[in-house]
Amino acid sequence: MARPALKERARARLGFGPLGPAAGASRPTLAREEAWLGWWLVIPAAALILALVIYPMVVGFNTSLHAEAPTLGAPSKFVGFRNYSDVIKDPATHSAVVHTVFYVAIALALEIIAGLGAAVALHRPFRGRGLVLAVLILPWALPSVVSGVLWRRILASDNGLLNSVLLQLHLIHTPQVWLASGWAIPLITLVHVWGVLPLIVLILIAGLQGIPDEVYSASAVDGANQARQFWHITLPLLRPALAVAITIGLVDAITIFDEIYVLNGTGLNTASVVVQIYNTVFVDADFAHGIAFAFLVAAATALCAVVATLASRRATV
Amino acid sequence: MRRSRDARLAQGDSVRAPPATRALRAIAIVALLAWSLGPVAVGVVTSISSQTDVQTVPARWLPDHATLDAYRALIAGASTSLGSTASDSSAFGQSMLSSVEVTLEATVASVAVSLIAGYAFSRLRFRGSKALFWAILATLVIPVFTLVVALFRTMAQLHLINTQLGLVLVYLTTQAPLAIWLFYNYCRDLPVEPEEAALIDGCTRWRAFRKVVLPQMRSGIAAVTAIVMLLSYGQFLIPLLLGSSPSTTPVTVLITDFVGKYTTNYPLLAAGGVIALLPPAIVAILLNRHIRGMLSGSVG
Repeated sequence: MARPALKERARARLGFGPLGPAAGASRPTLAREEAWLGWWLVIPAAALILALVIYPMVVGFNTSLHAEAPTLGAPSKFVGFRNYSDVIKDPATHSAVVHTVFYVAIALALEIIAGLGAAVALHRPFRGRGLVLAVLILPWALPSVVSGVLWRRILASDNGLLNSVLLQLHLIHTPQVWLASGWAIPLITLVHVWGVLPLIVLILIAGLQGIPDEVYSASAVDGANQARQFWHITLPLLRPALAVAITIGLVDAITIFDEIYVLNGTGLNTASVVVQIYNTVFVDADFAHGIAFAFLVAAATALCAVVATLASRRATV
Repeated sequence: MRRSRDARLAQGDSVRAPPATRALRAIAIVALLAWSLGPVAVGVVTSISSQTDVQTVPARWLPDHATLDAYRALIAGASTSLGSTASDSSAFGQSMLSSVEVTLEATVASVAVSLIAGYAFSRLRFRGSKALFWAILATLVIPVFTLVVALFRTMAQLHLINTQLGLVLVYLTTQAPLAIWLFYNYCRDLPVEPEEAALIDGCTRWRAFRKVVLPQMRSGIAAVTAIVMLLSYGQFLIPLLLGSSPSTTPVTVLITDFVGKYTTNYPLLAAGGVIALLPPAIVAILLNRHIRGMLSGSVG
């Protein structure tokens, strides 16, 4: 067969171009080979996800619609969404939701402000930039539990480093029990931000690098100073990257658990919604309410993510 | 438009940025480094301090006499001022081992499964591929705790609670959607000409994938491997609930046990933290270029 015809066939196989008349005859077999291989390649992943994600979710949802069986294995009564309304009415839920709102608000504010500053400082080349970025990524790479352990001595009550520094600066007069005070949530959020910030910075750097330099030179000619450039050019053009960063930061903060658990256990003064779910399921052994709670939080998380994405999209259009 | 590094250098920041801006930037960079490395440095210093060093007020930033006692207690089970750690040290070694083992197994399996799926979704045409792809991506938004509570019963029915296999299966599956998405993006952005050429030369699709596309994807594979490895190693809630027998407890879970048990033994806890952070730190530093490229590339 002539070379062009073969090329045509190959393009058809790959789905890149219109089929030439010569390739028409062989199309069905090639397409079948492709479909056959395609299915074989995706089946392992699809089967695993079906068995270990979809199936447990369905079983879990069913559990959440039934009253918790008084004894293991006993038949449980269908109660519809009563477990859900129980969770919504529970005062423990309310305080966990309030705590979580604080975690999210503080985390997002810190991540976006510090993230923007860091990204602006780091996105242009300078000597040693590769090394700085390699170091910067470290907190993200570490397990959040390990971050918590590293921060423990800083936040410790009697002889912690934060207490020491503040005492020496005469900002406080007696050592504070930080994790039992009103500062517990902001400080735990700080540890959380330590681990998430690198990802936010990388995303914003990628966003900044997508902004053409010409835009800046043009506005510089028009006499815009750097602050004006930042407000009127950088921020609007960075909106897509900001949307991604906010969505990731939001979801990470809503589901905060590890840092709280390692720094303050399941204590009620810092319990987030996930800590409360943990308490419901594994302390109270109440699967029905715990799973209902988990689904409620998952739905709220998905809703927040969708709203964040849509809001940014509408703003850009 | 993305500009090349050289073009940026030539056009130059140094030309445009006034000294004040550059100074500000230098301060910001130093502050960032201090913020990123500070807690790690505190951990390292604490781990080589003695109990007396740690308990003095105001704090001693550096120990009077650096000592490896905490590491000795943790690794060799030497007795400390707060009692012997013999049984805990063997548990610690075991948990590091099981963390690394489970992480490696889950990573290899997850990367293999996701690699072929990501390639198939981006390059092969078959009925239902779009729908299946989006269905898999949709599972990305399911928070892990929703899953883990629901999974607990499924795993119990399958007798996979407190087994390494159980953890490997769960990690592998929960990381797969992200890995598939990263591979899909990566594969989509690769030039298709080499694969076309192989097909023209008469290769089958599978052979073209193995001989041509796979080598093209090397950097992407390195990046996804590193990311999946770091995410698997850092798992906490899943193993806390599904794998906390002595033979499966990963180091992340054991460390929180230690936090409860050795509450004020900061040197010992810090030494545990420092040992536990070595594997991910090494991966992150060795593969940081690939990881950065993949994480920021998946955004644009």
